[in-house]
Amino acid sequence: MNNKTLTTATLVLALGSAIGLAAMPAHAADDMEKCFGVAMKGKNDCAAGAGTTCAGTAKMNDQANAWKLVPKGTCEKTASSTSPTGFGQMAAFTPKS
Amino acid sequence: MNTQALFSVALLAPQAACPSELFAGDAAASRFAVYRNNVFSSLTAALSDSYPVVEQLVGSAFFQAMARVFIEHSPPRSPVLVNYGQDFADFIDRFEPAASLPYLGDVARLERLRVEAYHAADCPVISAQALGAYLQQPEQLMQLRMKLRPGLAVLTSKHPVYSLWTAHQGIGDLASIHLAQAEQLLVLRDGLEVLLLPLPSASAVFIQALQRGEGFADAVVAALPLAPEFDAGPSLALLIRHSAITELEPS
Repeated sequence: MNNKTLTTATLVLALGSAIGLAAMPAHAADDMEKCFGVAMKGKNDCAAGAGTTCAGTAKMNDQANAWKLVPKGTCEKTASSTSPTGFGQMAAFTPKS
Repeated sequence: MNTQALFSVALLAPQAACPSELFAGDAAASRFAVYRNNVFSSLTAALSDSYPVVEQLVGSAFFQAMARVFIEHSPPRSPVLVNYGQDFADFIDRFEPAASLPYLGDVARLERLRVEAYHAADCPVISAQALGAYLQQPEQLMQLRMKLRPGLAVLTSKHPVYSLWTAHQGIGDLASIHLAQAEQLLVLRDGLEVLLLPLPSASAVFIQALQRGEGFADAVVAALPLAPEFDAGPSLALLIRHSAITELEPS
């Protein structure tokens, strides 16, 4: 077998898949989960609510209807100052007053 | 010893007496002590700004005591305060009282890399299209060298430094971290934000090889001992997505 040809083909494949992968939105990996109420002000990955332009728009820390992606399984262990449970939640919630 | 050397030696040696020939008056010693204290406290504050997670790991009292010993042995060599403490991680590795936290030095390395990435120069970036042109010239791909952006660094550690650092940003669960777990990560600035991206060990070796200036094929070969089926695709995608490739050098 021609080793050089094989390697060139492998590299072409790797570069092709890299360009394809890079074009996909970041954090598409499915080992993340959406976590509400834990994003720092302006650091949310996406905000719920009508009329917002989504990412980076949270007006306050730990906004109850703004989420960020966190590693799977960690959301409900992440402290949230607004959450009634004291931790992040998997869905938007009503902030405690 | 000239006057300036005398002054600076006394400044960093808390035991040393005030260099009396430089000052007049009864209050000279106490005034010098105030000045010396300001030097130590400003340098300690600079270290604390650059190494916040190290400080959280050991607590403020330990950190200040450790900083004091470091400052006595490694006074600033540059007037740029943000660069102060470049060898803090090496110092921590040798600092006997911190020996019970074997990961502490690598956490300091991670925090130093963040500071350096943050202050690294901007530079033009290679687009995915420019890289894609090489799909038409596969014979050039083997030797293609990719220059990576200033401030980009791969950190490999025998300890879970990435998990430890992120746990101190309120992400993840400190209790579930296994301290014997080796971790590798990529540090780079994308836009105005410094990113820490965990890497599989083979990807870390691949990116390190690219950074050393090895050609694409050689960099892939370097990673194969760690992962016989190594696919460079995801690592390259990471570099493209975060604008990390700044120059292409065909052979």
